[in-house]
Amino acid sequence: MQRREFFKTTAILAGSAALTNVDAAEQVEITQPIDNRPVADIAFPQKQPLITHSDRPPLLETPRKVFAHPITPNDLFFVRWHMPLIPTYINPHAFEITIDGLVNNPLRLSIDDLKKRFEAVEITAVMQCGGNSRSAFHPTAGGIQWGVGAMGCAKWKGARLKDILAAAGLKPGAAWLTLDGAEKPVYNQTDDFKRALEIDRITDDMIVAYEMNGEALPYLNGFPVRLILPGIYADSWMKMLRRITVTAKEPHLHFMEHAYRIPDNDCECELPDKLYPKTKPIEKMNVKSLIGFPENGARIRKDTEMIVRGVAFDGGDGIARVDISTDGGATWQEATLDDGKAGRYAFRAFRYAFTPTQMGEIRIMARATNTKGETQPFAHEVKWNRGGYKFNGIDEVRVEVIT
Amino acid sequence: MKRKIVTTAALLVIASQSTFAEHKGIKLPHMEFPMAKGEGMYATKGMCNMCHSWGYTINQGKQSKAFWRKKVRKMIDVFHAPIKDEDVEVAVTYLFAHYGNGKEE
Ligand code: HEC
Repeated sequence: MQRREFFKTTAILAGSAALTNVDAAEQVEITQPIDNRPVADIAFPQKQPLITHSDRPPLLETPRKVFAHPITPNDLFFVRWHMPLIPTYINPHAFEITIDGLVNNPLRLSIDDLKKRFEAVEITAVMQCGGNSRSAFHPTAGGIQWGVGAMGCAKWKGARLKDILAAAGLKPGAAWLTLDGAEKPVYNQTDDFKRALEIDRITDDMIVAYEMNGEALPYLNGFPVRLILPGIYADSWMKMLRRITVTAKEPHLHFMEHAYRIPDNDCECELPDKLYPKTKPIEKMNVKSLIGFPENGARIRKDTEMIVRGVAFDGGDGIARVDISTDGGATWQEATLDDGKAGRYAFRAFRYAFTPTQMGEIRIMARATNTKGETQPFAHEVKWNRGGYKFNGIDEVRVEVIT
Repeated sequence: MKRKIVTTAALLVIASQSTFAEHKGIKLPHMEFPMAKGEGMYATKGMCNMCHSWGYTINQGKQSKAFWRKKVRKMIDVFHAPIKDEDVEVAVTYLFAHYGNGKEE
């Protein structure tokens, strides 16, 4: 039997074996996320064409190759809105953020106030949707079936959230913030997208940003201001931030209680037919890396040097090393990291020079380890959760070596 | 001289306008996410395309009947979609016929 034929037959056999199983509950399986979606032929405002999951609300994903570099340009930065009604015009001279609730001096701050009254702080930080790479989870987890690109890293500039709250003067007992942006649901019975943040958890790195990579923020990334919470998943990085309300008690908010939550157990995991009853917010990002080059399906020449490039990051402990495998995970070699000067919340660029000496398909993998020794599991070792959050399986691309 | 002052003033106005006339806002493009033709399409369109695009729905990929039933119920129970109980199966049947994976469960 020809080798090809043999593969075909086994594939069919495996297929029929799987078929006999279908009446049983769908098996939990974690794979690599979907990685073959093309960018759309239409560009959204201020953006290059991106992988477009929806236009109302806009859901735009950054293609893999952008992650060959540690800063994600504004026009390639992913976009995720919850509600389809987004202001399409904001007058930056009339726009105000209200700070009210349990404060001594309720404030209405214009963008100019933010720039003039408060020290400007710059921080390079990764913004990642908690559901990034959700399409890795089977059975399908609830939410957008993102591939690898619901993340990006930008240099943000703005005023410290702490300084703004200090100017408003917190009253005794102040413990929670409710964050509200300008997006609105179409149907008035649908809950508004609001998020809560515990005041105790606010750090000096959290800013209200009016600049992204040296420019005003693109509308679709939250012009004129959005909250930046380095190290934490993007769900509370409120876009078009309009109001911050201070309360003593934790507010009851639909999108805090029903979304962006994972099982509150050690493995943060559960089974589709045995959901874990207690849940907690996703919050701090786990260690992860992504190969920007080469991409899946790339063809590279034998005996020709190629440089594997990508980015690694975590929740702010800092990346210690990235290892590369060119044999599907059997052996690993350390990649070279950039100088790390962009800080512990930024993408850390890695590169690894490699000259393939054999023809055929090879599987290239990247695995990051942070300063606490936390590392990435193989994709198939990642555990399932109903929301498909926090995927951080070792990234893999398959390339073909040709003569 | 007088003329020169006028020109300078005009230039200043233009310059300040160009810094202030930052933006006229954006226009979001419409994208077609065509619905598969078949029984229940128009009814489903009416039920499902009110709050978000069809792209948002089919982004889930091919799924079981139970999956689609759960999704439609989620829209009603969680987001208060104004869908009548008796219409649920219309949407589920349409979704499963065109965006189904052949499995009931
Ligand atoms: C009342 C408004 C409304 C209607 C009507 C509606 N949806 Fe939704 N739908 C939403 C909202 C809100 C979200 C979630 C937004 C978010 O979390 O960002 C959503 C999300 C989704 C998702 C994403 C996956 C998930 O689990 O959240 C799917 C799929 C979906 N809807 C399918 C449907 C289908 C099918 C119908 C018609 C039967 C429908 N929707 C009708 C409001 C609606």
